[in-house]
Amino acid sequence: MRVARFLGGRLIGMIIVLLIITFITYAIFYVLPSNPAQLSCGRPCTPDRLAQAKTFMGYDHPWWQQFLQYTRGIFFGRTFGAGPAAIDCSAPCFGYSFRLSTPVTQLILDRIPVTFSIAIGAAILWLVLGVSTGVISALRRGTAIDRLLMSISMAGVSAPAYLVGLLGILLFGFTLNMVPIGGYVPLTESPVDWLWHLILPWCVLAFINAAIYTRLTRGQMLEVMTEDYIRTARAKGLSETRTIGRHALRNVLIPVATVFGLDLGGLLGGAVITEKVFSMQGLGALLLDAVGNLDLPVIVGVTLFSAFVIILANFVVDVSYGVLDPRARTGTR
Amino acid sequence: MNRLRGMGVVLAAAALMLTGCNANPANPGSSSQSAPPTKGGTLTILTSQTEISFDPAKSQSLAITSLGLVNRRLTTWEVAPNQPAQVVPDLATDTGTESDGGKTWTYTLKDNLKYADGTPITTTDIKYGLERSFAPELSGGLGYHKSLLAGADSYKGPYSGDQLASIQTPDQKTIVFKLNTPYGDWPWIASMPAFSPVPKAKDNPNTYGQKPEASGPYQVQSYTQGVSLNLSRNPSWDPATDSVRTAGPDQINFKLSQDTTVAAQSLIADSGEAKNSFGAQFVPAAQLAQAQSNPNVKDRLATSGPGALSYLAFNTQRGALKDVKVRRALEYAADRQAYLVAAGGTIAGEPATTLITPGIPGREPYDLYPAEPSGDPAKAKEMLAAAGHANDLNLTLVVANDSSTLAQAQALQQGFAKAGVKITLKPLDANTVTASVTGNDTNYDLYLGSWQPDFPSPNANIQPLFDSRQIGGGNYNISRYSNPEVDALIKKATGTVDPAESAKLWATADKMIMQDAPVIPLTYTKNSFLRGSNVRNFFIGAFPAYPNYLKVTLAQ
Repeated sequence: MRVARFLGGRLIGMIIVLLIITFITYAIFYVLPSNPAQLSCGRPCTPDRLAQAKTFMGYDHPWWQQFLQYTRGIFFGRTFGAGPAAIDCSAPCFGYSFRLSTPVTQLILDRIPVTFSIAIGAAILWLVLGVSTGVISALRRGTAIDRLLMSISMAGVSAPAYLVGLLGILLFGFTLNMVPIGGYVPLTESPVDWLWHLILPWCVLAFINAAIYTRLTRGQMLEVMTEDYIRTARAKGLSETRTIGRHALRNVLIPVATVFGLDLGGLLGGAVITEKVFSMQGLGALLLDAVGNLDLPVIVGVTLFSAFVIILANFVVDVSYGVLDPRARTGTR
Repeated sequence: MNRLRGMGVVLAAAALMLTGCNANPANPGSSSQSAPPTKGGTLTILTSQTEISFDPAKSQSLAITSLGLVNRRLTTWEVAPNQPAQVVPDLATDTGTESDGGKTWTYTLKDNLKYADGTPITTTDIKYGLERSFAPELSGGLGYHKSLLAGADSYKGPYSGDQLASIQTPDQKTIVFKLNTPYGDWPWIASMPAFSPVPKAKDNPNTYGQKPEASGPYQVQSYTQGVSLNLSRNPSWDPATDSVRTAGPDQINFKLSQDTTVAAQSLIADSGEAKNSFGAQFVPAAQLAQAQSNPNVKDRLATSGPGALSYLAFNTQRGALKDVKVRRALEYAADRQAYLVAAGGTIAGEPATTLITPGIPGREPYDLYPAEPSGDPAKAKEMLAAAGHANDLNLTLVVANDSSTLAQAQALQQGFAKAGVKITLKPLDANTVTASVTGNDTNYDLYLGSWQPDFPSPNANIQPLFDSRQIGGGNYNISRYSNPEVDALIKKATGTVDPAESAKLWATADKMIMQDAPVIPLTYTKNSFLRGSNVRNFFIGAFPAYPNYLKVTLAQ
């Protein structure tokens, strides 16, 4: 019962947050002095033709009405135009991109495998890399290894993804000719090529993100290692591996999990820069392209999806607290 | 104007990202080893475009780029190295027979024209293809015909069951266009994408662009939005009916969404697939410098001759700029030299003084405001004082917020400061800039942009930018320039069918407009493109400043 109420409350909260995000995206877009219908008016454009394009695309209503139509479309579907050329966008309709002649729902579904492949692989890599180097650094505090790892992580934190990506392509793609310089091969088409094309983006993202985890884990670890229960564990005669693995690391991982949830959620919503540099067509590239072309339905759709994934990731993190920390389980205090 | 869409005809100053280096232009015009056309191979075209729609109604593509490989039109362009572009028959037997003083144009189709599936191409299909371009579902393409065909103002396409009476097809091989005004450049208009045949039975407006009925030498084999577009041979295409397409490669693959820097790098490296590739975008500044300094790469660089006009527009309906004396004074204050350096040096363009651009037939060079390339601020100052604005001018320049456009704007800003004119930059997102200056908001003094005509006639240089009917409402008379005499002359030149005679009228209009100084012509820009070492017949004609896809072949 408690669990059901907890989940129900979270679900309602999630829907409210998503509605607010849709509303804000619409509002922001219409504050800008841009006219999306104008890009579809063609050249030369006449006021009549512009008005026709506006009406057809549904941009002739006040923005709040458009927001309501959009929200309605998610639950009940929408139809643009009339007659044999009408475009039917069935529920859940997250809008229709006139530029790409495709429903936004379809566009997002098409792009998910790319973004998820990049994000999940990179996240695993950086988590393992970040936490392990963090632990090593903490345990070897003050040694040359610690300093080396900290310097590398400092470079990772401060390097822009675009630069690291391009340098990576230049070095491993062009100069050493070890990996492809970009593009994505679906897992279903060829698992080997899929992996081959993803290695470099994973490494680039891992290099940049692992740094944060290294520093975070190190700091936490140093703090935890001075706690009483570690001393107790050692006094009980537990091996050092067991002390660190079962007692110290478990507590270190709680803040790490929080940050990881947010980072992974953000990345699943689109690794904008990485996708751009590696010519991979994921959600980030879709969003970037839509912003450049004032493709409002795509902008709103992808923003909503990203928000959804971040909220979901947060939710998973909350649940995982229970696993990592027995005190956080509902009801037990 | 915004980023280049559909192979780019309106160029942003933003797109002219050729900052960087000194260096001399590499064989202006072409990098082609002109080689006899060979058949075979797979050509790859690297493009930053994320989508290519082959729907002729929605396309703004040039006749010699992507769409031209698949969709033939009534007429098309013959573009060859170092020669002006010519309009030539494509599906039709000639470029059009006029009657009724240029208000009626008649075309007859060649024999043995077939779609990929073997069905014959008819004039009914061309009429239908044009009619569907009027549908709001399919807006976005080049629509010059929409305001020229009689009675088309309220026409909304064939999907509601209506036909357009001003396009007549007396038989399956003849098509007649009735215009509402005499129009001498109609043969050029008939080369636009919308003049491609579309069989009604195969038309689904939502998906036609992904797999159109091919009339050209290639057909769409597969298309993955954002990723790739593959073209294979059209077995029904008969080379005997086609004088402009050499159809060399067996297969043409577009790799979409390519990062321009990475694409240029792989063309410079020239290994593997890159050998059989060329880039559809301008080479970015850093790679351009790299390419020029390496003799092995320099050969593979094609730089266009001077093309699109980059200009500074005055809002002639605002404040002190309403006064022609002020505008004339400012003409002398422009520092074209600094502007050109900021734009990338001599490989990026040359100073401009006329509105009709080089490579367009009928252009007469002149300079109404002669000064050093760096301007004549002393004279500008003197003239401004005479106009009563010695020191009080403070003008707002709206400009796209990318670094290269900003650098160009700052170069101009410093030049104007020498003449005592203060310029305040207002950097905005490129789309927002376009929307605001082409819309009905008049809240700007100056605008920095560039214009490449949609077809090589002075008409396309002048009418869209200076006809008073093109002010606001999404159109490009950004100077908001209105002169009844100029309007009348534009109308007269437009209606003149004889090319030599109309060219003279356009040249007169060019000078007449510059007397009123609604813009400062800054430079005629040059574009550079890279190709792989196996690519042959890769050249840029006098117009447009883009490679001719129709003649590219691969070494065998």
